[in-house]
Amino acid sequence: MKPNSHEEHKRHAFDSFCKKILRNEARDHYDEMKRQRDREVSFSELLAQEMDMLFLMDKYPSEQFNFSVLGHEVAIESEIIAQAIAALPEEKRDIILLAYFLDMTDGEIGAMLNLVRRTVQYKRTSSLQELKKFMEGNVNE
Amino acid sequence: MSKQKTATNGLLPYPVIVAATHGDVDAINAVLKHYEGYICALSTRRLYDENGCPRMCVDEGLRRRLEAKLTVKFLIFIA
Repeated sequence: MKPNSHEEHKRHAFDSFCKKILRNEARDHYDEMKRQRDREVSFSELLAQEMDMLFLMDKYPSEQFNFSVLGHEVAIESEIIAQAIAALPEEKRDIILLAYFLDMTDGEIGAMLNLVRRTVQYKRTSSLQELKKFMEGNVNE
Repeated sequence: MSKQKTATNGLLPYPVIVAATHGDVDAINAVLKHYEGYICALSTRRLYDENGCPRMCVDEGLRRRLEAKLTVKFLIFIA
């Protein structure tokens, strides 16, 4: 028995070595699967909002409608809005573009067009009414 | 008596271990064969069929992965 004790020891060591390899590898596998499960989401479970983030639409200049106001270029993508704005008289169109597309206040617009702030506000709100009428008419047709 | 004991204690014979760690193909196959059962046991997973009944099933992918890992790794054992 004594001369074999080294061999006996090695056999046990080899056995536990192999089992350890297998056990740890299996554990790695299950950990990886768990990690994947935690992160993986199927397409059908995505919210519509998240789906929208997965693609981009190209913007082409030919599909936009350009208006120039006081040296600024304003591009409008929606056709119906562009038509409605084009139908406005020039001064009202400028006010609408400056107020809603260039984010200017009534006071700033007034200073640029030599108008009183109150006048700008009146023209702006009445232009909105005109736009509304125009676009509702378009939709009804 | 001692021989019978070594045959039943579930350990590989020492010469096989030495040969396997030196890359002998037959010995490596013997080692894989010896641990086949343990590998299967580790790669057995509980799956659910369409009726929701649990069913034990051997994950083939995992089984191969364990086998490959063992083949690569036990070569570094110093017999």
